[in-house]
Amino acid sequence: MRLALSRPAAPLLPLLPALVLLPMLLVLPALVHGGGWELIGQFAWAAITPSRDPLLLQSLLQGLGVTAGMALLGWALSLALGLMLGLASSRLLWRELCGTSLPAEAIRRLLALPRSIHELIWGLLLLQLLGQRPVVAVLAIAIPYGALVARVVSDLLDALPTGPLRALRAAGAAAPAALLTALGPPLLPGVISYGGYRLECALRSATLLGVFGLGGLGNELLLTLQSLQFQELWSGLWLLLALMLLLETAVGALRRRWAMPGRFGLRGTGPSRTGGRAQPEVGRRGRELLLAGLLLLPALLVVGQALAVQPAELLHWQPLPPVAPRGWADALALPWPGLVAGTLTLMLLAAGLAVGGAPLLLLLVAPWPWGRRVLQLLWALGRLWPPPLTALLLLFVLKPGVITAALALGFHNLGILGRLLLEGAEAAGPAAEQGLLAAGCGPRLALLYGRYSGLARSYLAYGAYRADVILRETVVVGLVAGTGLGSQLRESLSAFAWDQLAVLLLAYALLTLVGEDLSDRARRRLLGGA
Amino acid sequence: MNGPSASTHHTSPPLLELREIQVPGRSRPRLEGVSLQLAPGERVALLGASGAGKSTLLAVANGVLAPERGTVLWQGEPRARQAGRRRRQQARIGTLWQDLRLIEELSVQQNLNAARLAAWGWPRAVLNLLVPLESEACAMALQQVDLDPTLLSQPVTALSGGQRQRVALARLLRQQPSLLLADEPLASLDPRLAADLLDLLLRQAAAPRALLLSLHRPDLVAGFDRAIGLRAGRVLFDRPSHAVEPALLAELYAGES
Repeated sequence: MRLALSRPAAPLLPLLPALVLLPMLLVLPALVHGGGWELIGQFAWAAITPSRDPLLLQSLLQGLGVTAGMALLGWALSLALGLMLGLASSRLLWRELCGTSLPAEAIRRLLALPRSIHELIWGLLLLQLLGQRPVVAVLAIAIPYGALVARVVSDLLDALPTGPLRALRAAGAAAPAALLTALGPPLLPGVISYGGYRLECALRSATLLGVFGLGGLGNELLLTLQSLQFQELWSGLWLLLALMLLLETAVGALRRRWAMPGRFGLRGTGPSRTGGRAQPEVGRRGRELLLAGLLLLPALLVVGQALAVQPAELLHWQPLPPVAPRGWADALALPWPGLVAGTLTLMLLAAGLAVGGAPLLLLLVAPWPWGRRVLQLLWALGRLWPPPLTALLLLFVLKPGVITAALALGFHNLGILGRLLLEGAEAAGPAAEQGLLAAGCGPRLALLYGRYSGLARSYLAYGAYRADVILRETVVVGLVAGTGLGSQLRESLSAFAWDQLAVLLLAYALLTLVGEDLSDRARRRLLGGA
Repeated sequence: MNGPSASTHHTSPPLLELREIQVPGRSRPRLEGVSLQLAPGERVALLGASGAGKSTLLAVANGVLAPERGTVLWQGEPRARQAGRRRRQQARIGTLWQDLRLIEELSVQQNLNAARLAAWGWPRAVLNLLVPLESEACAMALQQVDLDPTLLSQPVTALSGGQRQRVALARLLRQQPSLLLADEPLASLDPRLAADLLDLLLRQAAAPRALLLSLHRPDLVAGFDRAIGLRAGRVLFDRPSHAVEPALLAELYAGES
């Protein structure tokens, strides 16, 4: 037998990132401290005995309303911003209208900065600048999301085939009319599908911002956890779960109704869930989209009123505290290599856990029909729980450190990737797996050989994108990690050390931009070599 | 369910026995009152127009589809309840799928070895994805279907249509099943390749194996021992292949809406 170890074959690829589990499991016993298991037990028990006090429920529902409202407003604003900026940073558009694509490149570069900074940092920065106001959370979501949407819109736009456009232009159509006619309709499905996905993200972000005191349910979740009122905590969590699942179901249903591409299809060659579906009646989709848009506007106004969001507040800036005399020198003297290394370690561990954990868990439960249901619930909870809350919970039994932080961050992203993996597994079709089962292969191996083969590349490509998101999210659990740029950033923020903050933000942006570039390359290689 | 009949104690029970199989469909039953037996060494062609229920019957025969009513016995035994025994039972049933069901991302050798997964544990299943395993057995399987063993390291996507058919057949042989089922394996092949592949299949189905093959070309029925005609989900005839007369075929394929 030739023992030349070749590259692992496709089915193993999604599992490779789970190798980070080995070193983590080795050090985990040393991290466990004595007490706290009782608390974890109470916490678990409270899951099935949540508080049903009507007064509490009323206040939780109110908090949930605020969170949902912040998410909706931030999302709508980010879509509007993103569409405009996306058009403005499209190379194709500039070339057609002005003959040069240079402005597009410039705007793209500029947008990289707001995109590279996590919404939580935006929130905390704006909180310092504007004070505690409802508009802060909305803006904190809208700024990075808008820049993200802009990038996706311009990427989609520049990737569209230009044949129809050339034909219209050759027939004498003016540039704006030709662009609208030739590129509008093919652009729409991708943008709407991505927009729906962003709304789900916005709900998670709004909850997270709440944990840090920017309004809504998140703060109550944090307070009940800190005061060990687990039953009240679970009442809030279940309500949030209901809203999140409702939203995800609604977005999924609309996506299917309007025959929009699934998320796997969004970024490259992944299988499309709507491939074989009959096209809906001509024009119905357009009418329904228009109607939805028209309904959204008054809804936004009402929500804005209810949350007392006043754009005029943006003009009332608070003065910055003065910079300490030796501030800049101090900022540069921070232990940079350690900070960067800590951040990267946290990112790699969390990404490995999330990307590799999802297919591993799915394999483990494959033989049992209820296993998948249990996993779906676990993953939904993972998506729902803001990572800092998970981290606090873990601190009951684990010492703080990079592993604990990675577990919290990994669990959250596991929920997101797990759901995507299931969607991908369903889209991959049952044929190969069924063939293996019929030949007497066990359920786990049939899943590994039959399903993972086909979805390996597109799943990993999404995983690369997710790793880039996780790098940005490291700031969220920075306090627990006790190391890395995130924790330093939080320290500088609470100390009003603007000089340090500026340097740190720059370092963070630089790091995430490099990460984004690497993840883009990885994704292109994965999807291109398929 | 019928209890085990006295015939199950016979020296060699039929490899496959269907009794009064009923599979519901949308407008009419996909299978209705279908009974048949396959003894070791028997090679049986399944004839019928499109939609007559050939694929459904094969899906019942390989255990993928559980019939609404009726009994399926493999070597005299019903579908095992316990998962491990059921897998061993399935491992003795080999299917050549109409869409082949090769795993496109893997090499020829990995695909051939996938047929051994029923017998292998995890270590070998994972190792198969990392290094070339059991190269000799795989090369032999390829030679049996007249393919060059140098193809082993090729990805299956690099093969021609005819080569893919043969690799799927080699995988079937590598499984070492006793019951061979094939769903329209000749449909997409040119006449010469079709005749070659059919010849291979018939040769492989000597006792103690048996072959049930659905066929859309009644002119190829001569090499089989028996032919079963399926029309609108019912068995129209079941007789030695030399006794299938043109009039019978005309009735089998007579236009229906």
